[in-house]
Amino acid sequence: MELLAKIAFVVYTLLVLGGGCLAVGAHSLVRAMVGLITSLLGVAGMYLLMAAPFMAFMQILIYVGAVCVLIFFAIMLSKADEHGVESGSRRPGKALLSALAFISPAFVIGWVVVNYQPESINLPVEVPLAVLGKGLLDNYSLAFELISVVLLAAMAGAVLLAFEKKGRAAE
Amino acid sequence: MSPLMMYQLVALGLLAIGLYGIVWRKSLVGMLISVELMLNGAGLSIVAASQLTAADSATGQIATLFVMGLAAAEATLVLAIIVVVAKRFKSTETDVVSRLKG
Repeated sequence: MELLAKIAFVVYTLLVLGGGCLAVGAHSLVRAMVGLITSLLGVAGMYLLMAAPFMAFMQILIYVGAVCVLIFFAIMLSKADEHGVESGSRRPGKALLSALAFISPAFVIGWVVVNYQPESINLPVEVPLAVLGKGLLDNYSLAFELISVVLLAAMAGAVLLAFEKKGRAAE
Repeated sequence: MSPLMMYQLVALGLLAIGLYGIVWRKSLVGMLISVELMLNGAGLSIVAASQLTAADSATGQIATLFVMGLAAAEATLVLAIIVVVAKRFKSTETDVVSRLKG
């Protein structure tokens, strides 16, 4: 990799992991959301570094633009208290349990990644957008249609779940 | 250290942080945020594996697009569930919501 690419990679890594730590560790959920957005933007930068600008664009459009706004709505509609839902005391031993939950898979997968790495190319090639579109509508058209149906079903289900009948609102 | 391994280690870091958060967090919204982190790690890993090896690049990018679509669908449903739970229990903390306390 070139020197500039290395510097950019380090900066994006700091954004991704620092944002992730803030997203998990912050007491206030809104601050956790800011951490999540930082992390998502770092991942978008990594897509740019890997010569996949369309993926970076989609990352910002779908994750930062849509999913994060949805989670903000979830925070606002769930009436979280002002001191932060996460700030109270936790059960003893929960920190140990959470550490165990990530140490064992991270150790196993990390060992596999370090020891069995395939041949890597240094300069990734950019895929033209036409090839991606052709793939979506040609080879993977069934999966594309299915994911549209899944999205439609999820939205219809969400509206149905959150819908309140007029007479029952006072209950 | 090859570029592929560096990207895979960052993706692994995202997965580990998400796993930690899903156990550590007390509220449903916090757990949703952790799940999004894990899904991002998966997307980053897939794109890195397809862009930086001899494998077909278009397939990897399409797979990541599908992951993003599934994440959007999942976030929509979890939002609706959180709204219903918040209405019924007046809280989204998992300790308050769970009735079977072990």
